[in-house]
Amino acid sequence: MSKSIHIKNLSFAYGKDTILRDVNVSFPEGKLSVILGRNGSGKSTLFNVIAGLEKHYQGSVLIGETERRNWKVGKSNALKLGFLNQFHQTTFPFKVADVILTGRASFSRFSPRREDFEAVDTILEKFNLAHLKHKSYTSLSGGERQLVLLCRVLVQQPDLLLLDEPTNHLDLNYQIAVLQTAKELVKEGTTVLCVMHDPNMAYLFGDHFYLMQDNTLVDLQGMNREQVRKVLEQTYELPLISLDNQGKWMFAPMLHAHDWASIKSLELEGVNNKL
Amino acid sequence: MILQLKKLLLLVILPLVLLLLSLLIGSSQHIGFIELCQRIGLELGLYKGNDTTVLMGSMDTILWQVRLPRILLTFMVGAALASSGGTLQAIFRNPIVDPFTLGISSGAAFGAALAMLFPLLSVNVSAFLFGVCAVALTYFVSNAGLKTSIIGMVLAGMVISGVFTAMLTLLQYISDPYKLQAIVQWTMGNLHTASWSKVHTAFLPIVIGLIILILLRWKLNLLALGDQEAIAVGVNPKLLKFVMIGVATMITASAVAAVGVISLFGLIVPHISRMIFGPNNNIVVWANISIGGTFLLLIDDFSRAVMPFEIPIGVFTMIIGAPLFIYLMRRNEINWNS
Repeated sequence: MSKSIHIKNLSFAYGKDTILRDVNVSFPEGKLSVILGRNGSGKSTLFNVIAGLEKHYQGSVLIGETERRNWKVGKSNALKLGFLNQFHQTTFPFKVADVILTGRASFSRFSPRREDFEAVDTILEKFNLAHLKHKSYTSLSGGERQLVLLCRVLVQQPDLLLLDEPTNHLDLNYQIAVLQTAKELVKEGTTVLCVMHDPNMAYLFGDHFYLMQDNTLVDLQGMNREQVRKVLEQTYELPLISLDNQGKWMFAPMLHAHDWASIKSLELEGVNNKL
Repeated sequence: MILQLKKLLLLVILPLVLLLLSLLIGSSQHIGFIELCQRIGLELGLYKGNDTTVLMGSMDTILWQVRLPRILLTFMVGAALASSGGTLQAIFRNPIVDPFTLGISSGAAFGAALAMLFPLLSVNVSAFLFGVCAVALTYFVSNAGLKTSIIGMVLAGMVISGVFTAMLTLLQYISDPYKLQAIVQWTMGNLHTASWSKVHTAFLPIVIGLIILILLRWKLNLLALGDQEAIAVGVNPKLLKFVMIGVATMITASAVAAVGVISLFGLIVPHISRMIFGPNNNIVVWANISIGGTFLLLIDDFSRAVMPFEIPIGVFTMIIGAPLFIYLMRRNEINWNS
């Protein structure tokens, strides 16, 4: 079964607030697809719809060949979909191994089996986190927590993986570690869909790029560097300069732009506040 | 290895020893350790003493009709309240939740009072039904599917509790002094009224409930991480939560129906279990059963042995529990969800 996601005419609204309007997109199998966009642009809502957390959408969201709405969590589906939400806190100081073990909860009706414990060990070793195994989750740094939660989602061996801003709150080292992990999974055949803030990180690791603009998703595929820069400028309302980083594209804000004031859509005050 | 030893000692040996020792405690002074050993030896055919049947007869009555049902009931009730508290704390991801948070105690107290005034149902059955009814109300008032908030549920529990408490006050207001006394005594917890019939009534729901909790204990870890985290790894938390809250309600209602309201106990024991064994519910669920039963038995032994008169168990647990709770809070052993 194809591990791709097909979205047709998707619309979503909270009451009268339209969040998503007429989204049409296909996220291909075995690729790292990245969704970029501003805060509050609807990225997370789109994420929640695909993750199955929001069911009251219009249009169609096909995971493989199954409509997301008709997908029953907890029943055996043809495909396994795992997702990692934004930052999460737990009340109880569970050990890292116990947290990751819960990722295998759909595998057994009652208690974990030997292969479940083995799967935890395997994944900890794969990410060089074995030294954390007996530490309490609440004592970890933000970066370590994120990696542990990623392990927890991965231990169920998902066919599709959704990540919502997985590099949030992480230092550069952990950002790269998380995205490299995603990249490795893609090599192993997993379809990864990742919502991100930083276009540079996205262009370092991603395969396909999409931009949330005016409540809908713009496909950046087939655009050249200059075109992408222009679209990003519009979205982020900032003058950008595009750079080449060993063949990867980078976009940096241009602080001393001669045409800074001439960009009409720019509301300087607003931008300064956000900066 | 040390953990294994600790488990064996605390969860198996200590409860068994205390269960035996508790048989020796009571207002009758005729039964000492040696007599008890002889009696048990006789039963098992290991000891053939000079059979003084009269003494044996009264001893048997005290042991068999008075102490043993009380001990068993106390242990079951302690285990039930502690397990229910631990389960709800994990599901609500909130360590200050206890079995009574969802309104069960006020519902049950109202039910009991109602049955005392208008004896249509037996007191136990009525207490059970209204306890369950209060939780069901709380659940449906606050239920909003995936978006059900923990705070919302706890607040709904408080409101429903308030309503039943108001109705209980009304019943007390219109009842005559004798019935009023019975109602007040019932709400304070009454292990001294233990009997075999109460043991029989409470046994099935509590034991079946505990078995379900033991079977599902590992899934509690998953629920304790939150709903979305469960869906993220392909488990539907809704059904699981419904079953476990239902079971926790059933065993609490059975316990309350049998012996009345025992405050704070179901809040504190899970904390003690987690302090000793860590938060992993795979073992904490066992610990709650064992420590809950043992601890309530210990408190009841004290109230039987130390005081010349019996203090209602609910008052006793409150007096012991409150300082312990404050101590835990000050030591930051309680992890607030903030």
